[in-house]
Amino acid sequence: MTCKKKLARNQKDTNDDMINLVDNLNQEDDLKYNRRAFLKTAVGTSVALGVATIPFSVKAMLGIAEKNYERVEIAKLADLPQGDSVTFYYPTDKDPALLIHTVNGDLKAYNSACTHLMCPVFYEKTQDVLLCPCHAGYFDVNNGHPKAGPPQRELPLIEIEVDKGIVYAVGRQYRHG
Amino acid sequence: MGKKTCWGIIIATIIINVIMVQWTVEAYYGREYKSILIYSGVSIVSAFIALLVFLQWRKVEYK
Repeated sequence: MTCKKKLARNQKDTNDDMINLVDNLNQEDDLKYNRRAFLKTAVGTSVALGVATIPFSVKAMLGIAEKNYERVEIAKLADLPQGDSVTFYYPTDKDPALLIHTVNGDLKAYNSACTHLMCPVFYEKTQDVLLCPCHAGYFDVNNGHPKAGPPQRELPLIEIEVDKGIVYAVGRQYRHG
Repeated sequence: MGKKTCWGIIIATIIINVIMVQWTVEAYYGREYKSILIYSGVSIVSAFIALLVFLQWRKVEYK
């Protein structure tokens, strides 16, 4: 459609769309979001990621390494038939753990907070596995390593000792097997 | 050092740092204290390199 009043784009004071394309540009944004700003943000990201590791190394240097473990009585072996498990706390009252007498007759103990989101893990004797019911995480009862589901890390292993029919917890290993 | 090289190094430091943060957190949860220091050290050095390379890039870019 043509308009008589409309001036051609090569005429003075024209309002032709092709001439006014510059109005589409936002100069402020143009100055703010460019390759220079992108590179600066990238450097900032890199530095921020580097700095984010510092608290971990500071904690490691401050010696948050665990102290010597005490020998703590867990249960009498006679009270724990095969296929059964008992909850205890080790090494502190804030660390729930599970002593398991497996269906094969082995004694195993692990901290029972799931390494995914800390839900309590329990022994499922019909499948002979440790199960976290929150998100269906499965751990191998023989070594505490994840078998299926979201958990990526193994359950901390509680070292046990049987003395005169009593099971004791004597230590803990985080990375094992 | 050219501007493109600077871009490459800075992007590389981001990749390295993302991996190092993940490994540091994993080492922390696993109570592997020696590994924490190694990964954290690598990450900090990498961040420092990114900063130096950025200064070099700025020198060339705004010349």
